[in-house]
Amino acid sequence: MNVYVEGVLALMGINILLALSAYAILATDRLSLGNAGFMAIGAYVSSYLSVNLGWGLLPAFALGGLTAAAVGLLVGLPVLRLQGIYFVMGTLAFGEIVRTFFQNFEPTGGAYGMRGMFGTSLGMIYACVAVFLALFLAYGMARAGLAADAVRDDDEAARSIGINVVAVRLLSFAWGALIAGVAGALFAHYALYIESGNFNFLVSANAVLFVILGGVQTVWGAVVGAIILSLLPEGFRFLADWRLTAYGFILVAVMALRPEGILTRGMLRSLRRLLARTA
Amino acid sequence: MLAQQIVNGITLGSTYALIAIGYTLVLGVLNKLNIAHGELFMVGAFTGIAVARMGAPLAVSLLAAFVLAGLMAVVIERTCFYPLRNASFLSPMLSTIAFGILLQNLATQFFGSDPSRFPDTGASFQLSLGTLSVSAIHIAILATAFGLMIGIDLLVRRTRWGIALRATSDDPETAAQQGMHPSRVTMTTFFVSGALAGVAGMLTTLVYSQVTPHIGIRQGLIGMVAMVIGGLGNLRGAMIGGLAIGLVETMNDAYFSAGYRDLVIFSIFFAFLIFKPEGLFPAHRSS
Amino acid sequence: MSALLELRAVSKGFGGVLAVENISFSIAQGELVGLIGPNGAGKTTVFNLVSGVHALSEGEVLHRGARISGSGPTRIARRGIARTFQNIRLFRSLTVFEHVLVAQACRSANRLAQFSPFGTVAEIDRRRRALEALEAVGLAQRRDELAMHLPYGGQRRLEIARALATSPELLLLDEPAAGLNDTETDDLRTLLDTLCSRGFTILLVEHDMKLVMRLCSRILVLNSGRLIASGTPAEVRANQEVIDAYLGVAN
Repeated sequence: MNVYVEGVLALMGINILLALSAYAILATDRLSLGNAGFMAIGAYVSSYLSVNLGWGLLPAFALGGLTAAAVGLLVGLPVLRLQGIYFVMGTLAFGEIVRTFFQNFEPTGGAYGMRGMFGTSLGMIYACVAVFLALFLAYGMARAGLAADAVRDDDEAARSIGINVVAVRLLSFAWGALIAGVAGALFAHYALYIESGNFNFLVSANAVLFVILGGVQTVWGAVVGAIILSLLPEGFRFLADWRLTAYGFILVAVMALRPEGILTRGMLRSLRRLLARTA
Repeated sequence: MLAQQIVNGITLGSTYALIAIGYTLVLGVLNKLNIAHGELFMVGAFTGIAVARMGAPLAVSLLAAFVLAGLMAVVIERTCFYPLRNASFLSPMLSTIAFGILLQNLATQFFGSDPSRFPDTGASFQLSLGTLSVSAIHIAILATAFGLMIGIDLLVRRTRWGIALRATSDDPETAAQQGMHPSRVTMTTFFVSGALAGVAGMLTTLVYSQVTPHIGIRQGLIGMVAMVIGGLGNLRGAMIGGLAIGLVETMNDAYFSAGYRDLVIFSIFFAFLIFKPEGLFPAHRSS
Repeated sequence: MSALLELRAVSKGFGGVLAVENISFSIAQGELVGLIGPNGAGKTTVFNLVSGVHALSEGEVLHRGARISGSGPTRIARRGIARTFQNIRLFRSLTVFEHVLVAQACRSANRLAQFSPFGTVAEIDRRRRALEALEAVGLAQRRDELAMHLPYGGQRRLEIARALATSPELLLLDEPAAGLNDTETDDLRTLLDTLCSRGFTILLVEHDMKLVMRLCSRILVLNSGRLIASGTPAEVRANQEVIDAYLGVAN
């Protein structure tokens, strides 16, 4: 496999993880535009551990992810009590605070960034994708997953049957933070160099766009959206300069014409029935 | 020295105020955020630059920025908000994220991702009041921004459009029944919000004399901060919020550290959201 | 023995307007009580106050003598007070069976059980009990259909089944007969009778006077936020103030 293809696949894998992290909270009907902040935490923590403290990759990645998850719990507690738009702005603020924090934090390089990380392989990235995806599917099948769906569909009705809506959202938020943190750790050790600008608002926005293009109703939508939007710029190479603009147009068009995204629950159900019949 | 910083702060803050007003207008009429609002600032900036490069005088560039940004805002309303008015609450806002990225990509397409400069205006006029030094550009910004703010305030309070805007914000159905066409009110509201942001973009370019296609991200966020601090839904609050943030930023750069500028601002933002989300001047809405 | 549910001097204002004013009543275990009144009388507000959706402005709500006013809807549901909604609030993406399944976890003390895999004995037992709620309303055969594809009457019954699945002792039903035809209304009456005889306590908001008069042992009448009458169907029918409130619509 040549280096170029490997690079595309590696970034695609990391994008899938970012999409999954955005999906986790979107699936409870809350929009987070700050997941790049969790990615940054995972990236910097794991990088510091592996480069400055000589930790092995696996424990460094794990602690990076867990730190992000812990911050997710801490930040989620006050922020999840905010309604609608306020929550979105709270996550925006969080993402920017993390970014500007690392921009100034000397022990991890400040504005000059951090270098010296290495070791992420394609296999590692996609192993993480597989594990997280499997966990999502298992959760979706358990009664706990039903509770999350109920919260998304109608949180007041969910409360009336004893579901602790804040707890469900908090758990989902921290879960998304964990995934973003792991994505950050993987990214840092693949890119060999990181600086705070790698974790800006556009990264958070793109993570969300992956999900809404692919379909916000199922976890597969997040995967499909990430794959398509990762490969699209490559496929558009023939458009040369107009590549990015075409990318933008497609996004806007899909949102206006098919806001539920490519994959819907109904499609998945039909697909499942089709597979059951042919089996 | 302090007086100078205050003047600088208010000048900067007045551009932030214009952005914040735009957010507030859209929020008031649709109860949703236009996340591409910052890009309207950028559209105004680049329009001003493009028109100035063609040799037009400053006032013409300003007008072009005003009109084009306003029109772009209407395009956003027709593309992202109107078709999705019956979809989920989040859908339109998600669509504006996509639209914002489209605008950034278009700007990169036409102007490149390197900073673009505003052609030299040749205005080197400086006013000296004791230790204060106010340049022509400062005066231009202050005059334009405050003029627009007062204008908006009057428009909202005294004209038919303003009444229709407030009526549609409070109760769209009744407003429609009374003949105020919500769609038309919404479109004009978007036009105004975008036009103001565009003017702010052009004015800021005059001060800093260079912009990039991604400048809208930060400016949009700062406008959001100003809106929340001033009081969500409160137009005058948005103006005060904008001025306040401008002062905070200038004071921070002068007396603290420019590197921490955004960290300070967004921390204040976060603190307000958690502890005082209604802002300094809560809007009284009839429940 | 303290009443199952008691309201003491309950008032609720919205922006300076009193939706309900100084309401007091109590409901004993096993009663089937009706709550009637003209439109805008405040009936749904009372439900929202009892179920914790709104906070009280004044007064208290007691459940078996313990104060529940001030608690949120989740905690009140977990105490055994279930409700349906006037404008049917089902879960768009869930099937009929999934509605009762997700409600089933309401009273269980073991909150981690909702992560348990399917095959375990305990889980199978929970699913069987959830199914019973569907059988009670006659929706068991449609269990795998999407709830939003059910006909209107079916959706109303599903809301009741979902409330039943939480193992409540008190059911607050907000206009369960709205939009039902005569046959469906008869089925509803039979269902509510059966539930009552099985020990459930029911507070029922309804506009269908025939249903209310035939079904309820006691009726509370609200008008403009105030409780204007409380008694047996015969007493309420004869009450002049009630008749005036309805302007002769009383049956």
